[in-house]
Amino acid sequence: MLAIELKDVAMQFAVAKSHEGGEHSVFAGLNLQIHQGEKVGLVGRNGVGKSTLLRIIAGIYPPHAGSIWRNPSLSIALLSLGLGFKNDLTGRENAYLAAMLQGLGRRAAQSRLDEIGDFTELGDYYDEPVRSYSSGMRARLGFATGLLLDTDILLLDEILAVGDQVFRSKTSKALKEKVSSERTIIMVHHAQPAIRETCSRVVWLHDGHVRMDGDVNDVLSAYAADS
Amino acid sequence: MHAGFSSVIASHEMRRFGLSIALTLVIFELILSLLHYFSLVDTMARLSLRAEARRFYLSYFWWVLEPLLYVAVFWFVFEYLLGTRTPDFLMFLAVGKLAFIWFSKTVNYAANSVAENAGLIGRMDIPKTLFPLAVILECSYRQVAVFALLMAVILLDGRPPTMNWLWLLPLAALQLLLIIACGFFASILVVVSRDFAPLINLGMVFLMFVSGVFWDLNELPNTDAVNLLMTINPLAFLLNSYRQVLLWQQTPDFLLMSVLAAATIVAIAFLTWLMNRFSKQIARRVMSQ
Repeated sequence: MLAIELKDVAMQFAVAKSHEGGEHSVFAGLNLQIHQGEKVGLVGRNGVGKSTLLRIIAGIYPPHAGSIWRNPSLSIALLSLGLGFKNDLTGRENAYLAAMLQGLGRRAAQSRLDEIGDFTELGDYYDEPVRSYSSGMRARLGFATGLLLDTDILLLDEILAVGDQVFRSKTSKALKEKVSSERTIIMVHHAQPAIRETCSRVVWLHDGHVRMDGDVNDVLSAYAADS
Repeated sequence: MHAGFSSVIASHEMRRFGLSIALTLVIFELILSLLHYFSLVDTMARLSLRAEARRFYLSYFWWVLEPLLYVAVFWFVFEYLLGTRTPDFLMFLAVGKLAFIWFSKTVNYAANSVAENAGLIGRMDIPKTLFPLAVILECSYRQVAVFALLMAVILLDGRPPTMNWLWLLPLAALQLLLIIACGFFASILVVVSRDFAPLINLGMVFLMFVSGVFWDLNELPNTDAVNLLMTINPLAFLLNSYRQVLLWQQTPDFLLMSVLAAATIVAIAFLTWLMNRFSKQIARRVMSQ
């Protein structure tokens, strides 16, 4: 089943008038199809628009031109670092809010909180304001809420890059175990081993276009040879 | 021939039946999503109240302490330093100021609510009205305590409650509608440009002066000017009405209340449509600021 389809998507950002006539074009004429259950890695240089593409897929930004279609029966969540938490609220309260924002009712949201707390290994900090968290702790909270809320499409923006070694191996294990074959994952990550572990398909973005799209090993070796 | 005709009618009725089931389902789903939306607004408001209480040593006590301190400061300045001639000035001021603060503080908070939630907006496609509405509900929960205190003070001042006090309910509802309309509008302005935030703040100060918070509109020599002010500034009308109900045993102008309520409901509907229609543009704007 088709999960996401991008047709001729173009995206521009306003920049200072002295540069590029005031408009920086991130991509133009981007085409991409992703099916349900696919685990896709996005690679490309800094500034190539990987995070922007995730936001377009998540429906947060509209593309400047072209169209994005997402299967309306599938729920989607974008997990990125340092964003989306309310600093004054505790980890537990943030997880509760995140669950409700994903469409869960009060009781259903409440019932997930202990499981999320256990996974984060935050201990007593789970009931402390997020303001006092380190970036690693925030990432753990973000990852746990995203993973345990049964979202159909997970967009991971460098979320696996932080946390200590123990938590990192726990997350990649969880990604394999908890993520059923029906869940779709699109991840941006700078470390290739993480992509190799999770993804079967890789899309290489270059100069606003898809330069290569295919098997994880083929694309990653071509990408490594180029950079 | 006859059998064919009745089968046409049957299929026509089947289709109508199917349509009405589909319509019922759509309405049911709409009601469910509205209920979820409001429970989300309520959750955000309550969590925020709890977080605020955690931050301060005096916790929930600040809900009533802060407005009372405002009244105390104004009372000291006008009663002692300026020697106001308004009779029963303390009660007059308390009613006006406590109702005004609800409006001014809430609209100021609501103005920044969308822009401040860039983190959440950059992660999810959510209705942007959620943010001002949560702030408005949060401030309104607090205002319930403030109104309760105000009524207690008026009772202590030796004014027994009358049936006239029931007018407080439609008056507060009307003020809430006005706050929602202005809060939505202010939040859009701040998304368009952050420069609007200090201007909105300044606008509240101006509004305080022209709404009769610490002076009585009815004492103006020119009655035409009073009527005009009450019509173009709903807040002046509201403050005057609160005083009519709580202090002067008069009935507020129901016609003007109804007209204002209708106008604010239309404004809220339009602003809600606007914020939903441009939801993604708002996200991009907020993220790039």
